[in-house]
Amino acid sequence: MLEDYLKANLASWDEAVGVHVGSQLYDVEGFKQGRCSLSDIEISELGPSVHEGTSLLHLQCHFGLDTLSWARRGAVVTGVDFSGEGIETARALADEVGLTARASFVRSDVLALPDVLQGSFDVVFSSWGALIWLGDLERWAQVVAHFLKPGGTFYLAEFHPYAYLLADDAAPDSLRIGYPYFQYGRPQRFDEEDDYADREARMEHTVTFEWNHGFAEILDPLLHNGLRLEFLHEFPHTIVGLPFPFLEVCDDGLQRVKGHHDDFPLSFSLKMTKEG
Amino acid sequence: MTDPIPEEARAANLRLWNAWTRVHEKSAYYDVERFKAGATSLHPLELEELGPFVRPGTTLLHLQCHFGMDTLSWARAGADVVGLDLSDESIELARKLADEVGLSRRAEFVCADLYDADAHLGSRLFDVVFVSWGAIEWLPDLERWAGIVARHLVPGGTFYMAEIHPFAGSLDEVPGEHDVRVGYPLLPAPEHPEVDAIQGSYADRSADTTGLVAYGWTHDLAEILGALTGAGLRVEHLHEFPTSPAPFWDWMIQDEARWWWLPDGKGGLRRDLPLSYSVRASKPAT
Repeated sequence: MLEDYLKANLASWDEAVGVHVGSQLYDVEGFKQGRCSLSDIEISELGPSVHEGTSLLHLQCHFGLDTLSWARRGAVVTGVDFSGEGIETARALADEVGLTARASFVRSDVLALPDVLQGSFDVVFSSWGALIWLGDLERWAQVVAHFLKPGGTFYLAEFHPYAYLLADDAAPDSLRIGYPYFQYGRPQRFDEEDDYADREARMEHTVTFEWNHGFAEILDPLLHNGLRLEFLHEFPHTIVGLPFPFLEVCDDGLQRVKGHHDDFPLSFSLKMTKEG
Repeated sequence: MTDPIPEEARAANLRLWNAWTRVHEKSAYYDVERFKAGATSLHPLELEELGPFVRPGTTLLHLQCHFGMDTLSWARAGADVVGLDLSDESIELARKLADEVGLSRRAEFVCADLYDADAHLGSRLFDVVFVSWGAIEWLPDLERWAGIVARHLVPGGTFYMAEIHPFAGSLDEVPGEHDVRVGYPLLPAPEHPEVDAIQGSYADRSADTTGLVAYGWTHDLAEILGALTGAGLRVEHLHEFPTSPAPFWDWMIQDEARWWWLPDGKGGLRRDLPLSYSVRASKPAT
């Protein structure tokens, strides 16, 4: 079953790469001209830990824009994604912007990474819509800990578990709940024709399987694998990327819940340090 | 340091908790007689998760202890306990109960506002600091709260809390349905307490509480964990549960383990939403 889920998700992501590369949301042309693809949250919170020569492992890197943005800020980066299309595109981009000397990309399921990648890193990084593609965060936390140097930093900026809960017809005066916080390992099946980065796109591979994860499910395995919590932050806004009808994009370019600009969290970030 | 609780909030909450003490002493929910007969008032969850850290002679500080049944239950489990609560009627009842069950030698009760704890406890240190169910919603400032926790723990000591989940605190009934929706803010606003007219009590919905008002504050997990880590504590676990130790609405369902559940609308129990959580944290030994 798990293999069927991954197969469907892989087909969807392989197809999405082509759409995303041409999309306004990802703005690859702007990136080539020097635009940083990282959000203000990541730059202000993880930026101070990334110096010239910092080794950084980016888990679930898609086609590498964020990975390469960290490389531009001085890091020596390794990006990992299960999509072969994503990894090929990332390598081509690295070549085009002259970062191949400090950026390498590995095609692998994140949970199988210790089988194909050696070494350890100063920083392990993951962001925005990564965790919903993982059914097993116990194994994921082991992978994070495995690749961190003692004293190294794990940083995650993600969509909030609450952001996935509201019903499609949630209204400002009635925030009804349509989806689970706890899934107990069972994925939800979605069948969507369009794409979050291009609402006009009509995809061939429309079926995906996704897992929402609560805070305990995310944090507890990391704590048990020797990581110490430095901070957890929650934000009432997020980067554009969630395709839900009850959200709106505000003047500052961030998404918020309609009628709840200050009181409904849509993203979170956490920073942890590996003991030793 | 200025008091983070506005005077009118402190007065209202004190009046409420004194009134609730009189209701709760006689309530089936608290079942004082059962406690007097020897039963623990602690929830199986607290016994499972904190129990291994409480041995004969363990010193335990219970913050916001109400009338002390849980405090005294830890004393029965072997701990030397101090309970602290703002309600003078609660503390009076706690002392009376301690006397009645023969635990006054190992149980001390302090009547004080949480934020005045340092003045009352001085430099006393405890092996365990314990907080549970419906405590932090009465506090506007969690950084100061966590500072108190950390200052009164021995190096290597254990902090444990079991609480109503912030998500559950935001839930509201969908009118006319046994269903819930998000009806209250999910993010903290320290300057803007929720002011609610009280109807009954979580322990007795029919109690007469005419004229009583509660001032409460919203907290999120980031704020709670941030306060603890900021005070120098190391978070050891975060657990979340789809159950609550008390019903929020009379259509919730209780199981044999004393947990309350939301119904799933199909004759079963709803397991998809977080209603409570627990945190264990330790104070570094050096």
